[in-house]
Amino acid sequence: MTQDPNAEAQIEPTEVGANAAESGERQLDSDVSDAYGSHERGVDGLDFSSLADLGHTASELDPDAPAVLTVDNLKMYFPVKSSGLVRRTIGHVQAVDGISFEVPQGGSIGLVGESGCGKSTTGRLITRLYKPTGGSMMFEGHDLAKLSNREMKPLRRDVQMIFQDPYTSLNPRHTVGTIVGAPLEVHNIVPKNKVLPRVQELLEVVGLNPEHYNRYPNEFSGGQRQRIGIARALTLNPKMLVADEPVSALDVSIQAQVVNLLQDIQREFDVAFLFIAHDLAIVRHFCPEIAVMYLGKIVEIGDRETIYGRPHHPYTQALLSAVPDVKQAAIGGRRERIRLEGDVPSPINPPSGCRFRTRCQFAQEICAKVEPPLLQIGKRHKVACHFAGELGAHPATPVTTELLGVDDQGSTVPGATPTNTQLTIPGYEKTWYDLGTKQTTGV
Amino acid sequence: MSAETAGPETLGSLSNEPEHQDPNSQQAKEISGKSPLRIALGRLARDKVAVLCALVVLFFIICAVFAGPISKLFGVSLDTGLASEYVDGLNNGLPKPEMGPPNGPFTWDHPMGVAPRTGQDNLAYWLYGCRVSLTIATSAAIFASTVGVVIGLVSGFLGGAVDKVLSFFIDMFLTIPFLLAALTLAPILNERFNTSDNYSTIQKISLICVLAVFGWMGTARLIRGEVLSLREREFVQAARVMGMPTSRILFKELLPNLAAPIIISISLMLPAFVALEAGLAFLGIGVTDGVSWGQMILDAATPVYFRDYPQYLWQPMVGVVALVLSLNLLGDAIRDALDPKTRR
Repeated sequence: MTQDPNAEAQIEPTEVGANAAESGERQLDSDVSDAYGSHERGVDGLDFSSLADLGHTASELDPDAPAVLTVDNLKMYFPVKSSGLVRRTIGHVQAVDGISFEVPQGGSIGLVGESGCGKSTTGRLITRLYKPTGGSMMFEGHDLAKLSNREMKPLRRDVQMIFQDPYTSLNPRHTVGTIVGAPLEVHNIVPKNKVLPRVQELLEVVGLNPEHYNRYPNEFSGGQRQRIGIARALTLNPKMLVADEPVSALDVSIQAQVVNLLQDIQREFDVAFLFIAHDLAIVRHFCPEIAVMYLGKIVEIGDRETIYGRPHHPYTQALLSAVPDVKQAAIGGRRERIRLEGDVPSPINPPSGCRFRTRCQFAQEICAKVEPPLLQIGKRHKVACHFAGELGAHPATPVTTELLGVDDQGSTVPGATPTNTQLTIPGYEKTWYDLGTKQTTGV
Repeated sequence: MSAETAGPETLGSLSNEPEHQDPNSQQAKEISGKSPLRIALGRLARDKVAVLCALVVLFFIICAVFAGPISKLFGVSLDTGLASEYVDGLNNGLPKPEMGPPNGPFTWDHPMGVAPRTGQDNLAYWLYGCRVSLTIATSAAIFASTVGVVIGLVSGFLGGAVDKVLSFFIDMFLTIPFLLAALTLAPILNERFNTSDNYSTIQKISLICVLAVFGWMGTARLIRGEVLSLREREFVQAARVMGMPTSRILFKELLPNLAAPIIISISLMLPAFVALEAGLAFLGIGVTDGVSWGQMILDAATPVYFRDYPQYLWQPMVGVVALVLSLNLLGDAIRDALDPKTRR
């Protein structure tokens, strides 16, 4: 094996943001887990390549899995109050403005986007730390968006959350046993004397010494603390985990362990993940399906290969081009980096039409007038752009005019009826709108 | 790669505290967590000033608790016979020479001498005065901090209208001048209860109430501020996500994190209340039956007695100053011991 880690992976060099370590091309033994168990034994006898193969493959997409959570047109507006004696509401921060997606059972969907685009708010809406302004979140026949806190309580067992900062997410005055066992006590699931065995079992699952249940969080390192947080989230055997940047606060080697642990957990307990992250490489490894958010809206959603290989939205392309690429450095090629000009517009007063138009190099008049629908343009690919196209092949004229019944400038054509038959459902339809032929096609 | 780094990570030698000890010793093998409070306690034990102050405070506590037995040990009591047996009426009511200083030599019958004019035994009154001082200060501090903690917790955590109303009350109580209110309340209470049998008990209870009613605002503000910062921490959100009821979040999740400010506020409230109690008794609006350091000071602070019999003033003064000073220093030391522990 050569020293070049990229030589092994067969990825198209043109692929935007490809990173060999995360591409999942290697055939690895999926039974070997390095999150716990195996790594406790010595690994000195192995050379580098076999050691590297102890790692985890990227998660695979199961296209037929039923949805465990269906988010439809979810909205969260935070009121902005005026200062002074009478605090009137003078506006709303439209943190999340009508997003729809599905989380498949036992699968995972990644949510990426820049800071302040509403990723974390989405996670907090699903765990009902906030009550949504509008929309629905169907989970096992219940609409999480409409339940009161009291009605929500039994469902909290099934929807749990992993937090970003392992230093603030654990109560410093409680022992690990108390922290991990608290959900059991709150929900009165097991008698008091059965709490400890369950806690120790969970600690073992996340790769900590079960004898350490009576220690305090300050005695653990960041990675260990994050494992404690994961153990707490697992205590109630949830069906769905919201991971809000679970590895951002950890250093890179620990990130790998935690991500591998999460993959093991997903495989073992069939947990669905909503994975919120900044790190595109980790999302690529962990999530077979990815949604890209910009200013409170999903601009592009699709499976891993599509989003990373053939992104159609200018924002996704810009985002991916910003990823530092080892392979580019190795082959000496220079990749075009798309620089976005200006700042993110204020979510209190977002731009009309397409929200990305103020920073988009392809923006035309139609973008200001008509908001692009989240259009399904592939089997598992939706994009919200009037000029959707692969990098360097964006069409000169809007692709959505016929569907919306408008002309190229975005003005309504008299007499024309919108032919858009696609309902913006959270999942994917059997048929989609082909950008090349401008026809609705199927498989 | 990850397999290598995972090993020591999970096997873990976990303490953040640097430990300089033999890794094979019995102590190192024992795995049990040290709570942040225990670590702080260890730090406190290494602080010489704190240990000294704690000993002084302990001395006063023993004096207060065992005031009766100690008095008996010295053969003194609060009961005084005929005053003329003890004091010389012709000499400004100063004690007779056989009663000890200032006119005679030290005598074991009255180790701290007797009071001029009344002939009361100073040691007995000093011991019982210590008991009154500490009882009133402690119960007032407990009441005030309980009220303060609950109001601070609720107002900080719930926010919104509840916070507005409670903050208004905090501010309102802060605007009332304490001394004026106490001076106004004393005659009202006197008028109301001076015929009742247990007047002195009622007097003490009302003093505790007055001290507590005007002492809780500082704690409430402190706790409210702490809660405002704590409630945004992720562990509170984690508790919410797991469906923990608000009362449990307040008292099981937040309250343990407030141990440091609560202990500090109590330990600084105590000396303040000891001093206030003495001050009020001196002004004649606290305990008025004489068994109080403040009343002893009031009696002694006459130019004639101070010139001829300064010990009479020094005894209660030393008591108040030593107790207040050591409580204050101890409170500071406790704060220092707890403070750096609140890392992250």
